[in-house]
Amino acid sequence: MVRARGLAVLIVAAFVAFACGNAGGGTSSKGTIDIGSDLPTSGADASSGLPTQYGAAFAVSQAGTVKGFTLKFVPYDDAVNGKHDPTKGAQNLQQMLSDSKLLGMVGPFNSGVAAAEIPVANQAPLALISPSNTNECLTLAFDYCQKYAGYTAASLRPTGKNNYFRVAANDTFQGPAMADFAADTLGLKTIAVFDDQEPFGLGVANNFAKEFTKKGGTVVARQGFDTSSKPDFHAWLNKAKAAGAQGIYAGATSASYGCIARSQSQGIFDANSYYLGPDGIGDGQCIKDSGAMASDHMYATQGVADANSNTSAAATIAAYKKAHPSPDDTGAYTFAGYDCAAILIDAIGRAIDANGGNMPTRQQVIDQMAKTSNFAGLTGTYTLNDKGDPTTPALQVQQYKGGAWTTVKNIAVTV
Amino acid sequence: MAAMVQRLRASVISTPTASLINLVGLAIVAVALVATAQRVYQGGATYFFQTLGFGLAQGAIFALVALGYTMVYGIIELINFAHGDVFTLGAFISLALMPVFGLNEGRISGAALILPLLGLFVVTMLICALVNVGIERVAYRPLRHAPRLAPLITAIGMSALLEGVMNVWRGPFNLHYPDFLPSTQIPIGGGVTIAAKAVMVIVVAVVLMVSLTLFVNRSKLGKAMRATAQDRDAAQLMGIDINRTISATFFIGAALAGAAGIIYGLYYNSVQAFDGFQYGLYAFTAAVFGGIGNIPGAALGGILIGVIYSISDGYFTVSWTQVLVFAILIFVLVFRPTGLLGMRVPEK
Amino acid sequence: MTTVRNFVRSNVRNPNAVAYFLMAVSALFFPAVVQFATGGSGDYLVGLAADGGIYMLMAIGLNVVVGFAGLLDLGYAAFFAIGSYTYALVASNHLGVTPIGHSLHVPFWIALFIGMFVAATAGALLGAPTLRLRGDYLAIVTLGFGEIVPRVFRNAGIWTGGVPGISALDVPTLPGWVQGPWVGQDFGWVPDFRFTSANLTAYYMLMIILIAFVVILVHNLYNSRLGRAWMAVREDETAAAASGVNTVSVKLLAFSIGAATSGFAGAFYGAKLSYVSSENFGFIVSVTVLAMVVLGGMGNIPGAMLGAIVLYFILFWLLPNAPGQMQGLASSLGLDWLNQSNPNGWPGIGEVVSRSKYVIFGLILVGIMLLRPQGLLPSQIRKQELTHEEPEALAAPRQLQA
Repeated sequence: MVRARGLAVLIVAAFVAFACGNAGGGTSSKGTIDIGSDLPTSGADASSGLPTQYGAAFAVSQAGTVKGFTLKFVPYDDAVNGKHDPTKGAQNLQQMLSDSKLLGMVGPFNSGVAAAEIPVANQAPLALISPSNTNECLTLAFDYCQKYAGYTAASLRPTGKNNYFRVAANDTFQGPAMADFAADTLGLKTIAVFDDQEPFGLGVANNFAKEFTKKGGTVVARQGFDTSSKPDFHAWLNKAKAAGAQGIYAGATSASYGCIARSQSQGIFDANSYYLGPDGIGDGQCIKDSGAMASDHMYATQGVADANSNTSAAATIAAYKKAHPSPDDTGAYTFAGYDCAAILIDAIGRAIDANGGNMPTRQQVIDQMAKTSNFAGLTGTYTLNDKGDPTTPALQVQQYKGGAWTTVKNIAVTV
Repeated sequence: MAAMVQRLRASVISTPTASLINLVGLAIVAVALVATAQRVYQGGATYFFQTLGFGLAQGAIFALVALGYTMVYGIIELINFAHGDVFTLGAFISLALMPVFGLNEGRISGAALILPLLGLFVVTMLICALVNVGIERVAYRPLRHAPRLAPLITAIGMSALLEGVMNVWRGPFNLHYPDFLPSTQIPIGGGVTIAAKAVMVIVVAVVLMVSLTLFVNRSKLGKAMRATAQDRDAAQLMGIDINRTISATFFIGAALAGAAGIIYGLYYNSVQAFDGFQYGLYAFTAAVFGGIGNIPGAALGGILIGVIYSISDGYFTVSWTQVLVFAILIFVLVFRPTGLLGMRVPEK
Repeated sequence: MTTVRNFVRSNVRNPNAVAYFLMAVSALFFPAVVQFATGGSGDYLVGLAADGGIYMLMAIGLNVVVGFAGLLDLGYAAFFAIGSYTYALVASNHLGVTPIGHSLHVPFWIALFIGMFVAATAGALLGAPTLRLRGDYLAIVTLGFGEIVPRVFRNAGIWTGGVPGISALDVPTLPGWVQGPWVGQDFGWVPDFRFTSANLTAYYMLMIILIAFVVILVHNLYNSRLGRAWMAVREDETAAAASGVNTVSVKLLAFSIGAATSGFAGAFYGAKLSYVSSENFGFIVSVTVLAMVVLGGMGNIPGAMLGAIVLYFILFWLLPNAPGQMQGLASSLGLDWLNQSNPNGWPGIGEVVSRSKYVIFGLILVGIMLLRPQGLLPSQIRKQELTHEEPEALAAPRQLQA
């Protein structure tokens, strides 16, 4: 008891002594500006996160300096045990915020991580620009957002001001694009839809289902799966088949077992049944997971345009491929990552000008980001609107053909 | 004094609240059964038998894993958390050994598969068994007389260690497991079909389980195991080598888990370093459901959990299936701690 | 003056007193040292230490359940989850979008105790039917409970925000706060102070106060009649019952107090991160906290605290930084090829080190139990138990039927 009281006294003393102590303030080294990135770069998610990080890092190293300030790229990894983790993302962001030279962040990769990070960044505030987030509720207000995603664009921004930007087309385009493709081009009538219950997977699946129904199709066996451990899809696939499904739409990513369902459908569905999904399944892991069921009846959308079809990007792409010769180092969002970093650097440059050539504040960077217009990137020309979305996003439909995901349709949309 | 202690023990177990709780439990089970029956009736026969087939196949794998849990618990009262990971290890080892047996996906099929697969089973089961015996020797035997918590924590530690080793070896990715089983449907009359894959899984599991039961009932080592489980000291006095018997239990349990790992790989065609933990928990639930320490109980529990799983997936919603399985675990322990086939053993 | 000297003399050989003293002194100097060492940008590290405090609170709570009362709880993270979600529901806009349609913004200081109370109630509800089970069966029930609770939060849809969880939770506020150079400003009084991620030192101090509060509470309980009853139940439940101890209520109290502490930690966690999701309350959290208690020394409060510090430092600082360190080491030795992945399956040294996290965790657990089962800072009573064999008479009959 005496000891416990002694401890209390000590702790109060600690509190008081610290409150009076001087621990040194944060001084910024004039001359360096840090650009952060937060992507899943270890484990299973690294196959998509690392190539994106390489793209952003390449943009920073190509720029080198901005208006006399030296640029430094500071990458963070939000994967825990090989899978993106919202909590880890929020903690990374807290770490970035303690670096006063850091004026903006490229990322995150996953919409679920964005939902955890935006409120933290919003209160700081810090500009975020994501190459790959597609969940529409991150930027737009829909009445279903709170119910399905668990948040709204407003609830993610406690200060009421926007600090989040992205270049990818949101899921109000990605889901419907595949639905249109399935109904018009493939001529499908009945599709079974599942999702991985994550904001991205659930959102894209809901948007697909809505559009497909509008087109006169029927959605059967709508189901969410708990993908925190590997699910057994057999009984559900059987249910889908019994309900007359001609194909499956997987609102999931490869890391959330999006293509395990394809492999387990063997013996229930035949290999020439259609398997459709968002960008999350348009990768090599999906094909590995599908095993014997991998076929040219698999289609995936991608939320950015194909940089290879942009002739003015050819030189930069060639330089990137020279620096990163391994084919694994170039992913679907490598050049979107490049564009995000470039847009951010561009905005920082304008913010420096606006601040009379001095180190700008984070709010000034956000203000300039919002004014980004007609920025010529590798994957397209970007104008960001007040919600943070690109005004003319583009997407593509890819088919698994001849051992690779091949673009079969380019779609341009206007917000 | 002894009588008083006995009475006190009894009072700890059967308080008036206990009978009320039991009544509530029975009511819940009855409602669940009625709801299921109604949905099954609406779903039709074909769908029911297909769902049942998936459930039985999954249950057969659960059962094989559950046997290892139940044997180890029966003999040294330890929840061997590492068992689920020995099961995954079986899948990983067999995946690495496949080229040695000439098992290349797409290039070998039909009857040519039988011998290499048999060899694969034997070698994988042997390696898993030796690993598990090693785990017992290193992590559990030195703690045999320590308080219960000590070996339980080393078991969790060994589980993490095995997962870590597999993670370093092959990474956290989903690995594709070659697909050798036919994907045809076997008609079972009346237009009802069942997947050939599921039938094969069930057949292999049943063969393994029957041989285990025969072994434990008929062989001398099996008798030694039962004796050691009943009373370790008395068994020792009768000249039974306790250490050898316990090692043999770990050996057999892990061999079955290794076999289950291969079957799992062949059935699901994918395996991942961390799969075993979750699967192990289901299998453990199955062992508790059947009555822990009871070999036929573990088999029955495994099959039942598998069937409940697939019925919940197929007729209700997938999202709540896992909650249902763990709720069953708690229900069984609260209402009938001895499980379906277990004898009344107080105070464990 | 002599009283002070006597006090010091009587405590200097007591390892617990020394441990309390050292921990208090380190807690006192930690923020200043960190800020000095990092040149003022150490706010994040101070925040990380506050996160470590969450684990320390849980270790103190679990120590009551496992160390004092001898009840093995493998689903302790469930109460942590309940505390966090309770805070998230009563201190955000979320209830407004549920069918209740009216959001609550209970101040942090009250919500903290609501979280604690709800977790304690959940502990009592789970404990009442299950605490008559003994030993391993209780471990299994709690394990099942620990698996169920996060999944229920995950699946409860609109009520808990589903998989994305609930974000933008209220932060603690105070009528005023002293500001100074440690946040890069002049001395002064800030009215209507808000705890934000820009000032993690405030969270750190709050955590220190919470821990001190809980330690004093638990310490006094341990030295009370209830503490002796816990010990009696742990040593021999039947004998304790025969001596007039109401074993069920004594165990229930241990269980609830443990749950309450965890709920307390959960509410703080929700407030600091401003976000909760069901992913963060898995079995691994329960095991980590258990390992902290075991590592430090079961049944000893400063032991559990020390275990929490050591293990948190290893798991959340050393291991996450190890991949980068290894990469740096490899390139400084001119072994850059080690950092590159190659087609033969070598993923690069950084990835290998980050994958070995579980190997190291497993080795720690097995190593402690084999080499130092009493823990780093053992309880004197438990130490005797662990070094002596358990009398066989206590073992229950076993069976293996075929």
